[in-house]
Amino acid sequence: MRAIFLIAWREYAENAKTKGFWIGLFLFPIIIFASIFVQRILDDATPTRNYVLVDQSGEYADVIRAAMENRHQADILEALGEYQAKYSKVKTEAEMPDFESMPAVDQEAMAERFASGFGSKLGSMLKDGGLEQVLAQMAPLLVDDRPEFEEPKLRFREVPLPDGMAAELGLDELSTELKPFLKGSQSVMVDGESEELFAAVLIPANIGELISDPGSLQGLQAAMSGAGSRSGIQYWATNLADKDLKSRVKSSVIAELHRKEYLARGMDSDAVAAVEDLDVPFADLNPNKAVGKEEVSMADVLRQWAPVGFVYLLWVGIFTISQMLLNNTIEEKSNRIIEVLLSSVTPGELMMGKLAGIAGVGLTMIGVWMGSLVTILKLSAGPEAEFPTMLWEVLRTSGLIPAFMVYFILGYLLYSALFLAIGSVCNTIKEAQNLMGPVMLIMMVPLITMMFIPKDPNGTLARILSWIPLYTPFTMMNRAAAHPPMIDTVGTLILLIVFTGFVMWMVGRIFRIGILRTGQPPKIMELLRWVRSS
Amino acid sequence: MSDYVLELNSVTKTYGDFTAVDDVSLQIPAGTVYGFLGPNGAGKTTTIRMILEIIKPTSGSISIFGQPSALSVRERIGYLPEEKGLYKKMRAWSIIAYFATLKGMDRKSAKKRAYELLERYGLKDFADAKTEALSKGMGQKVQVLASIAHDPEFVILDEPFSGLDPVNQEVMEEVIRDIAERGRTVLFSTHVMSHAERICDRILLVAGGKKILDDTVEGARRHVPRRLRLQSDTDLAFLSDHDAVDRMVRTDVEGESTGSYDAILAADGEPVDVVQACFERGVTLHRFDYSPPSLHEVFVELVGDKAKEASFR
Repeated sequence: MRAIFLIAWREYAENAKTKGFWIGLFLFPIIIFASIFVQRILDDATPTRNYVLVDQSGEYADVIRAAMENRHQADILEALGEYQAKYSKVKTEAEMPDFESMPAVDQEAMAERFASGFGSKLGSMLKDGGLEQVLAQMAPLLVDDRPEFEEPKLRFREVPLPDGMAAELGLDELSTELKPFLKGSQSVMVDGESEELFAAVLIPANIGELISDPGSLQGLQAAMSGAGSRSGIQYWATNLADKDLKSRVKSSVIAELHRKEYLARGMDSDAVAAVEDLDVPFADLNPNKAVGKEEVSMADVLRQWAPVGFVYLLWVGIFTISQMLLNNTIEEKSNRIIEVLLSSVTPGELMMGKLAGIAGVGLTMIGVWMGSLVTILKLSAGPEAEFPTMLWEVLRTSGLIPAFMVYFILGYLLYSALFLAIGSVCNTIKEAQNLMGPVMLIMMVPLITMMFIPKDPNGTLARILSWIPLYTPFTMMNRAAAHPPMIDTVGTLILLIVFTGFVMWMVGRIFRIGILRTGQPPKIMELLRWVRSS
Repeated sequence: MSDYVLELNSVTKTYGDFTAVDDVSLQIPAGTVYGFLGPNGAGKTTTIRMILEIIKPTSGSISIFGQPSALSVRERIGYLPEEKGLYKKMRAWSIIAYFATLKGMDRKSAKKRAYELLERYGLKDFADAKTEALSKGMGQKVQVLASIAHDPEFVILDEPFSGLDPVNQEVMEEVIRDIAERGRTVLFSTHVMSHAERICDRILLVAGGKKILDDTVEGARRHVPRRLRLQSDTDLAFLSDHDAVDRMVRTDVEGESTGSYDAILAADGEPVDVVQACFERGVTLHRFDYSPPSLHEVFVELVGDKAKEASFR
């Protein structure tokens, strides 16, 4: 027992001194921190984007401008909400948004509806001096030492065409002339400052003729022949990722188009708009949840996907430290330190000591990871930070962390035993790498399946993989939040424990013989002989 | 309890068809320095590994401090393996202390002892150096110190001299003598006879897995005939009739007649008597030269053929 402890302690101390260990230790919290705050930082860092709008038809420019204005008003409203939450006098748990009951909605769709419907009315109200009024009303509820409310900056700003360019030019000519600006080789002047041009929206004069109805045969033909060509509204931009402007232009043009069509057909456009605003409550329900709480909440969605992060963590954690075990086993073997060790301890003690020592390294790493995850989430949780709050709630209530710990320990024992066996029969890292090939292939499977399993966590694939002990830790972690059947949870756990015990017993026998062996790594049949020999 | 630190009874180890150690018996009394000699591949390392219970003998029994298992008395044994290696990233003192604690010492006294040993054997300045920064000789010294740090009663050193320069070989001899002076038992293997000659009480010679000789150094020398070298213009053939002489051998280099002879002495023949006989006959001796046979000669005489055979295998 004492020998096991001494060996474990040395393994722990020596590995904890390596650079890799410390890098791994700090990298994870940094990534967590970055992934939570990067969205905010990016939002703040994104400059106001300039676009030119040329509407030769003269029909849509106004609606586009109005839509972009609405969008800005929605930003102001959101900022106002955050401002209020942040500096509110009363900060109690009760004030925290209840994510468990917040319905899982498509936030973007909601924002869209808001901006075009009620939001636009509120927005115009804010614009006409309403903001001051709202702030004044809010003031008594807020703490005194708060900073002034700052309007968020414009995300998109329309700028006039660069000097010397006439809006009347043909679209082909116009776009050719705009290209250097869009590519960034020339800049536009805005309020006396030179700025980059983000996009150009060009609407041809004949846009009215291009309206098509893909439902009809002619419309379909027109749409197909027009596909890929430049007829229609042209949206020029080098940035393909930020589609906000494009989709807003498109939706506002189409809304206007519909409005005109209603008018043309003699319908009351206000009545149509009112009809379009009609909505019906739609609830996502999950039979796995408690009676009366079957609504699928935002937290549920997060709960479904959070395990993926843990699976990845599990994978990285297990293979980082199993690799350590492999490396130092080979070091001892190639240095023949192993003989001195074996004159002092039994091979069994050596193996257990090494496993325990490296497990300590792993648990330290995982402990720091979990600790920093929880700390960062807890610190950043609050009314103004929805995502971390929600994630924290999910972690707190879902039992993902205890499951992670259990599967980490068992997965580690299983895989490290395999790595130890490889280490004990190889003399050099190079030899070991040859044997690692198949193990690496086996190891890749959970990484590939981890993104599919949440979509059907109790499906056939997930269940089959769960019952393969090598994949049990990863797959069951993947499914942990999806309430897998009891038989799966308990059955696979028992199978995993039994299988791990069996592998460790077998590896113990291979280790005992392999560790002293020099020369070529043994063949499979020879390994089996070692296992059988007493 | 037996008086022997180590007893081997008909120990045999086979690997498949190959017999590495063949029916070796041995008894090492407490306080002796035992040289374990033999050509490469003679089975020395295998025997040592069996003594330490790292591998198990195919047949035969081993008793160490009266126990069948070396691990049960591991704190009384120190071992330096043939191939030398250390943890590269560990510091010299901590590696010595680590092995000492594995042998049962507590951490604090192990650390103290490590520094003491490093100072005594001239490595004081390197005590805190990582072992990867040490030269081969220094590293080997550290390893020897690691194997004796817990002050074992029985020290087993496998090829302690290999890879050391002459100065460090002497340091190593000194280390062994120091251990022996403290009344400890030492078993060391080597194929360099001069070391064995200088420090051993007894030697065990093996070849091809078989025990060839187990005797004191003096006794071992008796296994090769002693030679008296003579040179004279007179024909010395008459000496072969002398009681002290077994036979006479001419050792002239071919084509040259220098009058060189080797008088192979009889078992109890005294070289002085032979020289006396020459004087009595009025023979002028240009040269006479007698030195007892070295272990080197014993080695070559007894296992020379086997050693060659082994190296070609």
